[in-house]
Amino acid sequence: MRIPKMRYFFPLGLFFTLFLDGALSNAFSKQMFTLSFSIESRIFILWLVMCVCFTDLNRPYLWAICVGLVFDLYYTGIIGPFTMIVPLIVYLTKTMYSFFKPSFIVVLLIYLIDITLVTFLFYLINAMIGFTNSSMADFISMTLGPTLAYNLAVFVVLYIPVQRFIETFSR
Amino acid sequence: MQRFFFNKRLIIVLVTLIIGFLLIAFSITVRNNKATPPLVQQFGNDAVGIVDRVVGYPVTGIEKAGATVSDLLSTYSENQKLKSQVDSLAAEKASEETLQRENSQLKKQLKLNKSLTNFQKISAYAISRAPSSWQNQVTISKGSLSGIKKNAAVLSQEGLVGRVTEVNKASSKVELISSTNDTANRFATQILAESGEINGLITSYDKDSNRLIMGQITSQKKIKKGDKVITSGMGGNSPKGIYVGSVSKVEKDDYGLASKIEIKPAADLTDLTVVTVANRTD
Repeated sequence: MRIPKMRYFFPLGLFFTLFLDGALSNAFSKQMFTLSFSIESRIFILWLVMCVCFTDLNRPYLWAICVGLVFDLYYTGIIGPFTMIVPLIVYLTKTMYSFFKPSFIVVLLIYLIDITLVTFLFYLINAMIGFTNSSMADFISMTLGPTLAYNLAVFVVLYIPVQRFIETFSR
Repeated sequence: MQRFFFNKRLIIVLVTLIIGFLLIAFSITVRNNKATPPLVQQFGNDAVGIVDRVVGYPVTGIEKAGATVSDLLSTYSENQKLKSQVDSLAAEKASEETLQRENSQLKKQLKLNKSLTNFQKISAYAISRAPSSWQNQVTISKGSLSGIKKNAAVLSQEGLVGRVTEVNKASSKVELISSTNDTANRFATQILAESGEINGLITSYDKDSNRLIMGQITSQKKIKKGDKVITSGMGGNSPKGIYVGSVSKVEKDDYGLASKIEIKPAADLTDLTVVTVANRTD
Protein backbone atom coordinates (compact mmCIF):
# COMPACT_ATOMS: atom_id res chain seq x y z
CA MET A 1 0.00 0.00 0.00
CA ARG A 2 1.32 3.40 -0.98
CA ILE A 3 1.42 6.20 1.53
CA PRO A 4 -0.20 9.34 0.09
CA LYS A 5 2.25 12.25 -0.25
CA MET A 6 -0.18 14.52 1.59
CA ARG A 7 1.07 12.94 4.81
CA TYR A 8 4.31 14.88 4.37
CA PHE A 9 2.95 17.90 2.57
CA PHE A 10 0.37 18.68 5.28
CA PRO A 11 2.82 19.62 8.09
CA LEU A 12 5.30 21.18 5.64
CA GLY A 13 2.58 23.36 4.14
CA LEU A 14 1.29 24.25 7.59
CA PHE A 15 4.63 25.66 8.71
CA PHE A 16 5.32 27.27 5.33
CA THR A 17 2.01 29.16 5.43
CA LEU A 18 2.65 30.14 9.06
CA PHE A 19 5.95 31.79 8.13
CA LEU A 20 4.34 33.29 5.05
CA ASP A 21 1.87 35.05 7.38
CA GLY A 22 4.71 36.63 9.36
CA ALA A 23 6.72 37.58 6.29
CA LEU A 24 3.67 39.15 4.59
CA SER A 25 2.75 41.04 7.76
CA ASN A 26 6.25 42.50 7.91
CA ALA A 27 6.61 43.30 4.23
CA PHE A 28 3.19 44.89 3.88
CA SER A 29 2.83 46.28 7.41
CA LYS A 30 2.23 49.73 5.94
CA GLN A 31 -0.95 48.45 4.29
CA MET A 32 -1.97 45.92 6.94
CA PHE A 33 -1.48 47.82 10.19
CA THR A 34 -2.82 51.30 9.57
CA LEU A 35 -4.33 53.80 12.00
CA SER A 36 -7.93 52.97 11.15
CA PHE A 37 -7.74 49.19 10.80
CA SER A 38 -5.43 46.24 11.22
CA ILE A 39 -5.45 42.98 9.32
CA GLU A 40 -4.34 39.65 10.75
CA SER A 41 -3.11 37.33 8.02
CA ARG A 42 -4.21 33.75 8.68
CA ILE A 43 -3.17 31.75 5.63
CA PHE A 44 -2.17 28.78 7.79
CA ILE A 45 -5.78 28.43 8.98
CA LEU A 46 -6.79 28.26 5.30
CA TRP A 47 -4.34 25.42 4.68
CA LEU A 48 -5.50 23.65 7.86
CA VAL A 49 -9.21 23.91 7.04
CA MET A 50 -8.78 22.82 3.41
CA CYS A 51 -6.62 19.84 4.42
CA VAL A 52 -9.14 18.76 7.05
CA CYS A 53 -11.96 19.03 4.52
CA PHE A 54 -10.38 17.43 1.44
CA THR A 55 -8.09 14.74 2.73
CA ASP A 56 -7.80 12.08 5.36
CA LEU A 57 -5.14 13.36 7.72
CA ASN A 58 -2.83 11.24 9.78
CA ARG A 59 -2.55 13.11 13.08
CA PRO A 60 -4.32 16.47 12.66
CA TYR A 61 -4.51 17.33 16.38
CA LEU A 62 -0.81 16.71 16.99
CA TRP A 63 0.20 18.97 14.12
CA ALA A 64 -2.38 21.57 15.14
CA ILE A 65 -0.89 21.75 18.63
CA CYS A 66 2.64 21.93 17.16
CA VAL A 67 1.83 24.78 14.79
CA GLY A 68 -0.05 26.67 17.52
CA LEU A 69 2.90 26.31 19.86
CA VAL A 70 5.32 27.59 17.22
CA PHE A 71 3.04 30.57 16.57
CA ASP A 72 2.98 31.41 20.28
CA LEU A 73 6.69 30.90 20.85
CA TYR A 74 7.94 32.62 17.75
CA TYR A 75 5.54 35.49 17.12
CA THR A 76 4.03 36.56 20.42
CA GLY A 77 6.18 34.96 23.13
CA ILE A 78 3.04 34.21 25.15
CA ILE A 79 2.65 30.43 25.16
CA GLY A 80 -0.93 29.20 25.26
CA PRO A 81 -3.49 31.07 23.15
CA PHE A 82 -2.90 29.48 19.75
CA THR A 83 -1.83 26.16 21.26
CA MET A 84 -5.42 25.93 22.53
CA ILE A 85 -7.24 27.63 19.64
CA VAL A 86 -5.82 25.69 16.66
CA PRO A 87 -6.85 22.16 17.86
CA LEU A 88 -10.28 23.60 18.65
CA ILE A 89 -10.50 24.82 15.05
CA VAL A 90 -9.63 21.33 13.75
CA TYR A 91 -12.33 19.80 15.95
CA LEU A 92 -14.96 22.36 14.92
CA THR A 93 -14.13 22.07 11.23
CA LYS A 94 -14.42 18.28 11.38
CA THR A 95 -17.74 18.47 13.23
CA MET A 96 -19.25 21.10 10.94
CA TYR A 97 -17.98 19.41 7.79
CA SER A 98 -19.60 16.09 8.66
CA PHE A 99 -23.04 17.67 8.12
CA PHE A 100 -22.40 18.90 4.58
CA LYS A 101 -21.37 17.76 1.13
CA PRO A 102 -18.10 19.31 -0.04
CA SER A 103 -18.46 22.44 -2.16
CA PHE A 104 -16.83 25.83 -2.52
CA ILE A 105 -19.52 27.65 -0.53
CA VAL A 106 -19.54 25.16 2.36
CA VAL A 107 -15.77 25.32 2.83
CA LEU A 108 -15.90 29.11 2.51
CA LEU A 109 -18.52 29.39 5.25
CA ILE A 110 -16.70 27.00 7.56
CA TYR A 111 -13.49 28.96 6.96
CA LEU A 112 -15.15 32.29 7.77
CA ILE A 113 -16.65 30.89 10.99
CA ASP A 114 -13.20 29.59 11.95
CA ILE A 115 -11.49 32.93 11.25
CA THR A 116 -14.12 34.81 13.27
CA LEU A 117 -13.67 32.42 16.17
CA VAL A 118 -9.85 32.58 16.06
CA THR A 119 -9.82 36.38 15.94
CA PHE A 120 -12.43 36.71 18.66
CA LEU A 121 -10.85 34.21 21.08
CA PHE A 122 -7.41 35.72 20.51
CA TYR A 123 -8.85 39.16 21.31
CA LEU A 124 -10.54 37.85 24.47
CA ILE A 125 -7.36 36.26 25.78
CA ASN A 126 -5.32 39.37 25.03
CA ALA A 127 -7.90 41.60 26.68
CA MET A 128 -7.84 39.33 29.72
CA ILE A 129 -4.06 39.48 30.18
CA GLY A 130 -3.98 43.23 29.60
CA PHE A 131 -2.29 43.37 26.20
CA THR A 132 -5.06 45.43 24.70
CA ASN A 133 -7.67 47.77 26.06
CA SER A 134 -9.69 48.34 22.90
CA SER A 135 -13.44 48.00 23.31
CA MET A 136 -15.60 45.35 21.68
CA ALA A 137 -16.97 47.88 19.16
CA ASP A 138 -13.45 48.94 18.22
CA PHE A 139 -12.40 45.33 17.89
CA ILE A 140 -15.26 44.48 15.54
CA SER A 141 -14.81 47.49 13.28
CA MET A 142 -11.02 47.81 13.33
CA THR A 143 -9.80 44.22 13.44
CA LEU A 144 -12.51 41.64 12.83
CA GLY A 145 -14.06 43.26 9.75
CA PRO A 146 -10.84 43.92 7.82
CA THR A 147 -9.39 40.55 8.87
CA LEU A 148 -12.44 38.73 7.51
CA ALA A 149 -12.35 40.72 4.28
CA TYR A 150 -8.65 40.05 3.71
CA ASN A 151 -8.87 36.36 4.52
CA LEU A 152 -11.95 35.98 2.33
CA ALA A 153 -10.07 37.51 -0.59
CA VAL A 154 -7.10 35.19 0.02
CA PHE A 155 -9.45 32.22 0.17
CA VAL A 156 -11.10 33.06 -3.14
CA VAL A 157 -7.71 33.41 -4.82
CA LEU A 158 -6.12 30.31 -3.30
CA TYR A 159 -9.09 27.89 -3.25
CA ILE A 160 -8.65 26.28 -6.66
CA PRO A 161 -4.83 25.95 -6.61
CA VAL A 162 -4.83 24.51 -3.09
CA GLN A 163 -7.67 22.10 -3.89
CA ARG A 164 -5.88 20.86 -7.03
CA PHE A 165 -2.68 20.45 -5.01
CA ILE A 166 -4.40 18.40 -2.31
CA GLU A 167 -6.27 16.26 -4.86
CA THR A 168 -3.07 15.51 -6.77
CA PHE A 169 -1.08 14.44 -3.75
CA SER A 170 -3.66 12.63 -1.67
CA ARG A 171 -4.04 9.84 -4.21
CA MET B 1 -21.75 4.69 28.77
CA GLN B 2 -22.97 7.99 27.31
CA ARG B 3 -22.45 9.69 30.66
CA PHE B 4 -18.93 8.35 30.93
CA PHE B 5 -17.95 9.81 27.55
CA PHE B 6 -19.47 13.15 28.39
CA ASN B 7 -17.43 13.30 31.59
CA LYS B 8 -14.26 12.27 29.81
CA ARG B 9 -14.66 15.03 27.22
CA LEU B 10 -15.40 17.59 29.93
CA ILE B 11 -12.28 16.56 31.83
CA ILE B 12 -10.12 16.87 28.69
CA VAL B 13 -11.47 20.36 28.02
CA LEU B 14 -10.93 21.49 31.61
CA VAL B 15 -7.41 20.08 31.83
CA THR B 16 -6.52 21.74 28.51
CA LEU B 17 -7.84 25.08 29.71
CA ILE B 18 -5.93 24.86 33.00
CA ILE B 19 -2.67 23.90 31.28
CA GLY B 20 -3.19 26.65 28.71
CA PHE B 21 -3.70 29.37 31.30
CA LEU B 22 -0.77 28.12 33.38
CA LEU B 23 1.41 28.40 30.28
CA ILE B 24 0.16 31.95 29.64
CA ALA B 25 0.90 32.94 33.24
CA PHE B 26 4.33 31.32 33.06
CA SER B 27 5.32 33.10 29.85
CA ILE B 28 4.18 36.49 31.13
CA THR B 29 6.30 36.01 34.25
CA VAL B 30 9.32 35.12 32.13
CA ARG B 31 8.68 38.10 29.88
CA ASN B 32 8.50 40.52 32.79
CA ASN B 33 11.26 39.21 35.01
CA LYS B 34 13.87 37.10 33.29
CA ALA B 35 16.59 38.27 30.96
CA THR B 36 16.20 35.33 28.59
CA PRO B 37 13.53 32.69 28.07
CA PRO B 38 14.26 29.04 29.03
CA LEU B 39 16.93 27.31 26.96
CA VAL B 40 14.49 25.03 25.11
CA GLN B 41 12.44 28.02 24.02
CA GLN B 42 15.58 29.85 22.87
CA PHE B 43 16.73 26.97 20.66
CA GLY B 44 13.23 26.49 19.30
CA ASN B 45 12.94 30.15 18.40
CA ASP B 46 16.36 30.19 16.73
CA ALA B 47 15.57 27.11 14.66
CA VAL B 48 12.25 28.62 13.59
CA GLY B 49 14.03 31.90 12.84
CA ILE B 50 16.37 30.22 10.36
CA VAL B 51 13.48 28.58 8.48
CA ASP B 52 11.56 31.85 8.54
CA ARG B 53 14.47 33.68 6.89
CA VAL B 54 14.29 31.25 3.96
CA VAL B 55 10.54 31.77 3.56
CA GLY B 56 10.74 35.52 4.10
CA TYR B 57 13.44 36.09 1.48
CA PRO B 58 11.25 35.92 -1.66
CA VAL B 59 8.49 37.96 0.03
CA THR B 60 10.97 40.72 0.83
CA GLY B 61 12.12 40.50 -2.77
CA ILE B 62 8.58 41.13 -4.04
CA GLU B 63 8.13 43.99 -1.62
CA LYS B 64 11.46 45.54 -2.68
CA ALA B 65 10.47 45.35 -6.36
CA GLY B 66 7.26 47.24 -5.58
CA ALA B 67 9.13 49.81 -3.54
CA THR B 68 11.67 50.31 -6.34
CA VAL B 69 8.94 51.23 -8.82
CA SER B 70 7.30 53.71 -6.47
CA ASP B 71 10.73 55.15 -5.58
CA LEU B 72 11.46 55.71 -9.24
CA LEU B 73 8.20 57.62 -9.71
CA SER B 74 8.91 60.03 -6.88
CA THR B 75 12.61 60.46 -7.56
CA TYR B 76 12.43 63.83 -9.31
CA SER B 77 10.47 65.73 -6.68
CA GLU B 78 12.53 64.14 -3.94
CA ASN B 79 15.73 65.14 -5.66
CA GLN B 80 14.62 68.78 -5.81
CA LYS B 81 13.86 68.75 -2.10
CA LEU B 82 17.09 67.04 -1.15
CA LYS B 83 19.25 69.41 -3.19
CA SER B 84 18.15 72.30 -1.03
CA GLN B 85 19.09 70.40 2.11
CA VAL B 86 22.50 69.14 1.02
CA ASP B 87 24.31 72.48 1.37
CA SER B 88 23.26 73.08 4.94
CA LEU B 89 24.03 69.45 5.81
CA ALA B 90 27.72 69.75 4.97
CA ALA B 91 28.09 72.77 7.23
CA GLU B 92 26.21 71.04 10.03
CA LYS B 93 28.36 67.95 9.70
CA ALA B 94 31.55 69.98 10.02
CA SER B 95 30.35 71.79 13.10
CA GLU B 96 29.10 68.54 14.63
CA GLU B 97 32.49 66.96 14.13
CA THR B 98 34.26 69.84 15.85
CA LEU B 99 31.81 69.70 18.72
CA GLN B 100 32.25 65.95 19.06
CA ARG B 101 36.01 66.32 19.15
CA GLU B 102 35.78 69.09 21.71
CA ASN B 103 33.37 66.98 23.74
CA SER B 104 35.69 64.00 23.84
CA GLN B 105 38.61 66.26 24.82
CA LEU B 106 36.59 67.80 27.63
CA LYS B 107 35.50 64.36 28.78
CA LYS B 108 39.14 63.30 28.86
CA GLN B 109 40.09 66.33 30.94
CA LEU B 110 37.28 65.56 33.37
CA LYS B 111 38.45 61.91 33.46
CA LEU B 112 34.89 60.99 32.41
CA ASN B 113 35.22 57.81 30.42
CA LYS B 114 31.60 56.89 30.06
CA SER B 115 28.46 58.94 30.09
CA LEU B 116 24.80 58.35 29.39
CA THR B 117 25.19 59.24 25.74
CA ASN B 118 27.60 56.39 24.99
CA PHE B 119 26.12 53.35 23.33
CA GLN B 120 27.16 50.45 21.17
CA LYS B 121 25.28 50.06 17.90
CA ILE B 122 24.23 46.63 16.66
CA SER B 123 22.43 46.53 13.31
CA ALA B 124 19.94 43.81 12.52
CA TYR B 125 17.17 43.32 10.03
CA ALA B 126 13.54 42.60 10.74
CA ILE B 127 12.65 39.00 9.80
CA SER B 128 8.93 39.02 10.44
CA ARG B 129 6.15 40.76 12.25
CA ALA B 130 3.62 39.06 14.51
CA PRO B 131 0.43 38.65 12.45
CA SER B 132 -1.65 40.02 15.31
CA SER B 133 -3.36 43.30 16.13
CA TRP B 134 -2.54 43.04 19.81
CA GLN B 135 1.17 42.39 19.75
CA ASN B 136 3.08 45.10 17.96
CA GLN B 137 6.10 42.88 17.81
CA VAL B 138 8.87 42.42 15.28
CA THR B 139 11.43 39.60 15.23
CA ILE B 140 14.96 40.77 14.42
CA SER B 141 17.90 38.76 13.17
CA LYS B 142 20.42 39.17 16.01
CA GLY B 143 20.45 37.85 19.55
CA SER B 144 22.58 37.34 22.61
CA LEU B 145 25.47 36.03 20.50
CA SER B 146 25.79 39.51 18.97
CA GLY B 147 25.56 41.12 22.39
CA ILE B 148 21.92 42.23 22.45
CA LYS B 149 20.53 42.69 25.94
CA LYS B 150 16.95 42.68 27.15
CA ASN B 151 15.25 46.09 27.42
CA ALA B 152 17.76 47.77 25.11
CA ALA B 153 16.35 50.59 22.99
CA VAL B 154 15.81 49.92 19.28
CA LEU B 155 15.96 52.63 16.63
CA SER B 156 15.45 52.99 12.93
CA GLN B 157 17.18 55.56 10.74
CA GLU B 158 14.69 58.21 11.85
CA GLY B 159 14.42 57.58 15.57
CA LEU B 160 13.24 55.40 18.43
CA VAL B 161 11.02 52.46 17.47
CA GLY B 162 10.86 50.19 20.52
CA ARG B 163 12.62 48.00 23.03
CA VAL B 164 13.88 44.41 23.14
CA THR B 165 11.52 42.14 25.08
CA GLU B 166 12.99 38.71 24.48
CA VAL B 167 16.54 37.67 23.65
CA ASN B 168 17.32 34.31 22.06
CA LYS B 169 20.72 33.14 20.82
CA ALA B 170 20.37 34.37 17.25
CA SER B 171 17.10 36.29 17.16
CA SER B 172 15.16 38.59 19.45
CA LYS B 173 11.75 40.18 19.72
CA VAL B 174 11.19 43.91 19.67
CA GLU B 175 8.07 45.51 21.10
CA LEU B 176 7.25 48.68 19.18
CA ILE B 177 6.46 51.93 20.97
CA SER B 178 2.97 51.75 19.47
CA SER B 179 1.98 48.88 21.79
CA THR B 180 -0.51 49.78 24.46
CA ASN B 181 -0.16 46.82 26.81
CA ASP B 182 -0.06 47.35 30.56
CA THR B 183 3.32 45.78 31.13
CA ALA B 184 5.20 47.78 28.50
CA ASN B 185 8.30 49.45 29.85
CA ARG B 186 8.03 53.20 29.64
CA PHE B 187 10.76 55.29 28.08
CA ALA B 188 12.14 58.20 30.08
CA THR B 189 12.19 61.17 27.76
CA GLN B 190 13.30 64.77 27.75
CA ILE B 191 11.94 67.79 25.87
CA LEU B 192 14.55 70.17 24.53
CA ALA B 193 12.64 73.45 24.92
CA GLU B 194 14.08 76.95 24.62
CA SER B 195 13.62 77.48 28.34
CA GLY B 196 15.60 74.34 29.18
CA GLU B 197 15.26 70.60 29.46
CA ILE B 198 12.05 69.06 30.75
CA ASN B 199 11.96 65.44 31.93
CA GLY B 200 9.04 63.08 31.74
CA LEU B 201 7.87 59.62 30.77
CA ILE B 202 6.10 58.24 27.73
CA THR B 203 2.93 56.98 29.39
CA SER B 204 0.81 55.75 26.51
CA TYR B 205 0.15 55.72 22.79
CA ASP B 206 -2.89 57.10 21.01
CA LYS B 207 -3.74 54.60 18.29
CA ASP B 208 -6.25 56.81 16.45
CA SER B 209 -3.94 59.74 15.83
CA ASN B 210 -0.53 57.98 15.94
CA ARG B 211 0.76 60.11 18.82
CA LEU B 212 2.86 59.18 21.84
CA ILE B 213 1.58 60.66 25.09
CA MET B 214 4.20 62.02 27.47
CA GLY B 215 3.21 62.60 31.07
CA GLN B 216 4.65 62.77 34.59
CA ILE B 217 5.89 66.29 33.88
CA THR B 218 6.25 68.48 36.94
CA SER B 219 8.22 71.33 35.44
CA GLN B 220 6.43 74.63 34.80
CA LYS B 221 8.71 75.61 31.90
CA LYS B 222 7.13 76.69 28.63
CA ILE B 223 6.87 74.01 25.96
CA LYS B 224 6.29 74.93 22.34
CA LYS B 225 4.83 72.95 19.47
CA GLY B 226 7.68 71.50 17.42
CA ASP B 227 10.18 71.16 20.28
CA LYS B 228 12.36 68.08 19.91
CA VAL B 229 11.99 65.12 22.26
CA ILE B 230 14.87 62.73 23.04
CA THR B 231 15.36 59.83 25.44
CA SER B 232 16.83 61.05 28.71
CA GLY B 233 18.81 57.96 29.70
CA MET B 234 17.13 57.81 33.10
CA GLY B 235 15.88 54.43 34.23
CA GLY B 236 18.94 52.56 33.07
CA ASN B 237 17.72 50.90 29.87
CA SER B 238 18.09 53.36 27.03
CA PRO B 239 21.03 55.69 26.35
CA LYS B 240 20.58 59.44 26.34
CA GLY B 241 20.00 61.39 23.17
CA ILE B 242 17.98 59.07 20.93
CA TYR B 243 15.53 61.12 18.90
CA VAL B 244 11.90 60.23 19.66
CA GLY B 245 9.90 62.88 17.81
CA SER B 246 8.56 66.39 18.07
CA VAL B 247 5.91 67.95 20.28
CA SER B 248 2.59 68.28 18.45
CA LYS B 249 0.22 69.38 21.22
CA VAL B 250 0.50 70.62 24.81
CA GLU B 251 -2.33 70.42 27.33
CA LYS B 252 -2.96 69.98 31.05
CA ASP B 253 -3.63 66.43 32.21
CA ASP B 254 -6.90 65.26 33.74
CA TYR B 255 -6.05 66.67 37.16
CA GLY B 256 -4.79 70.04 35.94
CA LEU B 257 -1.42 69.63 37.60
CA ALA B 258 1.17 68.42 35.13
CA SER B 259 1.13 68.90 31.40
CA LYS B 260 0.21 66.13 29.02
CA ILE B 261 2.16 66.33 25.81
CA GLU B 262 1.47 64.68 22.50
CA ILE B 263 4.53 63.65 20.52
CA LYS B 264 4.61 62.89 16.83
CA PRO B 265 6.99 59.91 16.53
CA ALA B 266 9.84 60.45 14.08
CA ALA B 267 10.15 56.84 12.98
CA ASP B 268 7.68 55.14 10.67
CA LEU B 269 6.70 52.05 12.66
CA THR B 270 5.16 50.28 9.68
CA ASP B 271 8.25 50.36 7.51
CA LEU B 272 11.00 48.47 9.32
CA THR B 273 13.61 46.57 7.36
CA VAL B 274 16.86 47.43 9.13
CA VAL B 275 16.98 48.46 12.77
CA THR B 276 19.77 49.38 15.18
CA VAL B 277 19.88 48.12 18.75
CA ALA B 278 21.44 50.62 21.15
CA ASN B 279 23.23 48.79 23.94
CA ARG B 280 24.25 51.07 26.78
CA THR B 281 27.95 50.74 27.49
CA ASP B 282 28.13 52.32 30.93
